[in-house]
Amino acid sequence: MAVLEEIGQTGEAASPARFARGVLLPLGFAVLVILTWQILCEWLRVPPILLPPPSAVWAVLRDNYGILLQQALPTATETIVSFAVASLLGVALAVALTFSAWIREAFYPNLVMFQLIPKIALAPLFIVWLGVGEKTATVVAVFIAFFPVVVSSATGLVSAKPEVLQLCRSLAASEWQVFHMVRFPYAMPFIFAGMKVGVTMAMIGVVVGEFITVQKGLGYIILFAAGAGETATVLAAIVLLCGIGLALYGAVELAERVVRHRYGGAMPVGGVI
Amino acid sequence: MSVDSAAASAVAAPAGAGALGPRLRGSRPVLLPLAAAAAMLLGWQVADILLHVPSLVLPTPVEIGGELWRALPTLLAQALPTTRDTLMAFAAASVLGVGLAVVITYSPLLRDMLYPNLVFFQLVPKVALAPLFVIWLGIGSPSRVVFAGFVSFFPVVISAAVGLEGTDPAALRLCRSLTASEWRSFVLVRFPFALPAIFSGMKVAMTMAVIGVIIGEFISSQAGLGFYILNAGSRLDTPDVFAALVVLCALGVALYGAVALAERGVRRVYGRH
Repeated sequence: MAVLEEIGQTGEAASPARFARGVLLPLGFAVLVILTWQILCEWLRVPPILLPPPSAVWAVLRDNYGILLQQALPTATETIVSFAVASLLGVALAVALTFSAWIREAFYPNLVMFQLIPKIALAPLFIVWLGVGEKTATVVAVFIAFFPVVVSSATGLVSAKPEVLQLCRSLAASEWQVFHMVRFPYAMPFIFAGMKVGVTMAMIGVVVGEFITVQKGLGYIILFAAGAGETATVLAAIVLLCGIGLALYGAVELAERVVRHRYGGAMPVGGVI
Repeated sequence: MSVDSAAASAVAAPAGAGALGPRLRGSRPVLLPLAAAAAMLLGWQVADILLHVPSLVLPTPVEIGGELWRALPTLLAQALPTTRDTLMAFAAASVLGVGLAVVITYSPLLRDMLYPNLVFFQLVPKVALAPLFVIWLGIGSPSRVVFAGFVSFFPVVISAAVGLEGTDPAALRLCRSLTASEWRSFVLVRFPFALPAIFSGMKVAMTMAVIGVIIGEFISSQAGLGFYILNAGSRLDTPDVFAALVVLCALGVALYGAVALAERGVRRVYGRH
């Protein structure tokens, strides 16, 4: 996201005033909200079932971190696996679509269509097909995360500048050379944009899969604790989920930087969506 | 988001092979995807019959069509609460999202304070909070509307804030030199400039609102398409699940189409000025 880059840049600018504004101000606001939440909970004696104070959430995290981390492990693994599979399949299909105008025109609108419909509603079908278990949550997540990647990548792969493609043709570059020296680097920002949406979608898919197939994982903990009225545990599990989600998003962002840096030497990459 | 521009570029892609007549070539972007979809349905039907797939696992399209025809009155009755909840959530998210974006645009302090936190919320899996909304608001329609509104609020506010921020500085300077009031320059310049971004946020929000309502119906509901799907799934009535999915997909696409249509209308009004 542009914002994160902006924050990074203001940080690098090393001007303390800007650093304070860009990083400390939002952090300070978040701390303020959490403090207000704590104080209001204590003053108004909000029942902990409705809204536990942050200190109670922290207590759950501190006392039960063993169990929580144990449940976070399958969730994190499922998310990573489903994201990896969705990215590979998505980019591969997008590449296949680039090589034939006919195939692209025939399938692309259908893919966009799938992008628009609420795919999450298909989750119960996956239970019928695959039973209850980790596999179902993973496949649901792949299915959901796949479409943003393929749609975005396919857009990127056909968005190389026509002049550059013409130049390649006049230099008698082979189809493969054009692909890996021009089309693919040009598509990089699009592929990563799709993958960033994909990684958040994979997380959603895994959590929803765990909601409805209920066996283990943080989604299971959340639903179970909510049913038992242990709201503090729900919030603790959500904190962990947010941690996993942000870490994965950050990993994709980092990978993008590394890849862009490598390709940047050979080719200026511009024009994100 | 990317979907829209992608679809546009796919439609605008020059027809490569010119073997078709001019009239046929004009309708190629429409006919080809439809033909591909029809071919896939046909392949599904044939494979189902040839491989003797039990209808519990994967019913044939014809079977689904029959079920759809039989259950249509029930399905439409169930679609009503889903549609109502989605529209309410979408309206609330759009109004609040654009409102907050306007506030953020005019107060740099608030912007620096809130924006990174908003992006944070955009990245974390908010779906996991669904059970909390049940604790807070019960299992009725309000909890689903608020949850779906919460999920779809963030794309609107971020997209609208980016759009309002991205107004051409030259146009704003011109306004200032013509001594236009803040209000006038907002109505005449900033807002029209931001419209594409606002609408792209609203399109994402509409799909998110549908997803939010469906997830809400999955975990707590006595009515609605999500409830119907889960119910039919647990009865192992797969044709019924598919029939409900067809209605749900139609609903999702129709709602998205309504936003796209509204965008066209609004853009035309503003284009005339």
